[in-house]
Amino acid sequence: MHWIAVQPAPDAVAAGDASALVDVDQALAWWALQFTPLVARVDGALVLEVSASERLFGGRSVLLQRLFAAPPVALRHAQGATSLLALARLWARAPDAPIDSLPLHSLAAARAHLPTLMRLGCSNWGQLRALPRAGLVRRFGAGLVDALDRAYGTRPELYPWLCLPEVFDAPLELSAAVDTAPALLFGARRLLSQLLVWLRARQRGVLALELLWELDARRSNALHVDAHHLGSGQGRLELRTAQATQDMLHLQRLLGEQLAQVHLPAPVLHLRLRSLQTQALSGESHSLLPEDQRKGDSLHQMLERLGARLGREQILCVQAQADHLPEAMQTWLPWNPEPAAQPRAGPLCEHAALLPGWLLELPQPLAVHGQCPQYHGPLTLLAGPQRLESGLLDTVVLRDYFIARSAQAGLLWIYRERLSQSPRWYLHGIYA
Amino acid sequence: MPALARSSLLDGHDIHADVWHAHALSHAALPVLATGDAVLDAELPGGGWPIGALIEILQPPGVHSEWRLLLPALVRSGQGPVVLVGAPQLPFAPALAAQGLALQRLLWVRAVAPSARLWACEQALRCAEVNAVLAWLPQARSEQLRRLQMAAAEYRKLLFVMRPAAARDEASPAALRLHLQPVETSPPKALSDALQLQLLKRRGPPLDRPLHLQARSARMNLLLAAAHALDCSTARA
Repeated sequence: MHWIAVQPAPDAVAAGDASALVDVDQALAWWALQFTPLVARVDGALVLEVSASERLFGGRSVLLQRLFAAPPVALRHAQGATSLLALARLWARAPDAPIDSLPLHSLAAARAHLPTLMRLGCSNWGQLRALPRAGLVRRFGAGLVDALDRAYGTRPELYPWLCLPEVFDAPLELSAAVDTAPALLFGARRLLSQLLVWLRARQRGVLALELLWELDARRSNALHVDAHHLGSGQGRLELRTAQATQDMLHLQRLLGEQLAQVHLPAPVLHLRLRSLQTQALSGESHSLLPEDQRKGDSLHQMLERLGARLGREQILCVQAQADHLPEAMQTWLPWNPEPAAQPRAGPLCEHAALLPGWLLELPQPLAVHGQCPQYHGPLTLLAGPQRLESGLLDTVVLRDYFIARSAQAGLLWIYRERLSQSPRWYLHGIYA
Repeated sequence: MPALARSSLLDGHDIHADVWHAHALSHAALPVLATGDAVLDAELPGGGWPIGALIEILQPPGVHSEWRLLLPALVRSGQGPVVLVGAPQLPFAPALAAQGLALQRLLWVRAVAPSARLWACEQALRCAEVNAVLAWLPQARSEQLRRLQMAAAEYRKLLFVMRPAAARDEASPAALRLHLQPVETSPPKALSDALQLQLLKRRGPPLDRPLHLQARSARMNLLLAAAHALDCSTARA
């Protein structure tokens, strides 16, 4: 058995730090659970039993190295063969003291009897253990002898072991009432760094999370209803990413963009962050060749950021459709992180190479002088007509397409509606 | 001694890559992508579109010849997305696909506000997977373009910015500036139409004569020639 006792260093928890963890003790426990399942909280410190995970990590020294490489907060720690020994060394600030010389106040069970024991001339563990057991039990109760046995490893140590919650759900009480939504980001940032510890412990990436806030109930407009407030005095913002991520900076930026669009009807005192959907992270594979490592964000991150500020419907991808009508040959759809089964477009029609590079969203009616359509001056028809007939029951489309040439704008793609009495001309495409 | 220094200075390969002789094109420190047009390649430093520099294309109103000029290079630019920021009309995907551009590479950011366009443009440049960014920025100021130029240089992206011809006299941080205009030949004859390209700025000596590029694809020329021949024969009959 090899026990490690850890405690956050007294100066580690500085108030007012923007990226400070919300709940240091909890974060520390989550962090410790990455390395061993046997983690317990004893008297304000954390004890870890690591002998079972040594082989997994490649030996005790490697494990210790990994353990103390990147803790979430600055730590003090001590080790020992039993948890009470490790704790005593931690409290006595004597990491290498031999077990018999440890002062009695470092044994929690002996603290209540400290004055009596001192008067007996007993000041360290060795002297206490040398006293007759039966007399000790009679005088101080079975608890002290029990604790001593556990400290020396002659009795097993059992604790209520801590475990990782399945869902991340952390509240945060804000130190001052917040009136504007973007200012909520400061609190959210602390919650996100707590989330990061949880994600690392579970080795998962977050796909969706929600930020909840409670409006000050004393304000009359706390029951305001809009996209983010349902009228119950609570606000809610859902954040989704396309790829499971542990990148808190990216989430922070997304959250910032989204919060910029939220209007708070009343001040907020309580925040809460909850994970909605997570996914196991597979390890990243880095390329060995330096030229393969390109600088910059991933495509998903870029598109999510664009979507968060400009709106998803502004980021468009194209899908080809098998249709004869030019405006139905393509559909521009909002970018979708999980592309649905793409309808396989038929082969391009053979005259696709002769189509213009730009299409007008709405065909532009052209003025006609005499017989000649005008667009910045008269047009000369070069090729055509290409006859196009299409339509279902409601709309019948009969058009003759021409390639026309304008002195100013180059080649244009225009059509004439065939059914109407007076032929009407429309500009539909521009050859680029 | 002065003679020695002089001769070593004259040797073009010894000077810094960002310094070039006034009569010669710069030895490109930037990687380039061939434009697909030998006439144009010969006049560009390094022999193609510079990657990682702002390329500014000026066009008179109503002219949208960017696909003709850029598509051959875009097709060969890689597998990643080609981001269009604020296009003037609907890009007609079947026509682009027919010329070799894979449709799934097209990504269109339909931002309207000038500031949103600039921001989107910069975000796209910062993305590792994007190959090329085409932006239509009619109202951009010089310092805003400079920001884009820096981003393109840092992230090594092809960046084309389309601007109106009226911006011709404004200062620009672009590494390459060109002015496009379809020209009418006399007598007006569709087959010999050309795209007149004027290099306003390049890393090399100024070019005072405009370049003339073939205005349309070979296939389109074929069609127009056939239509023309048909017209002539019917007229004779």
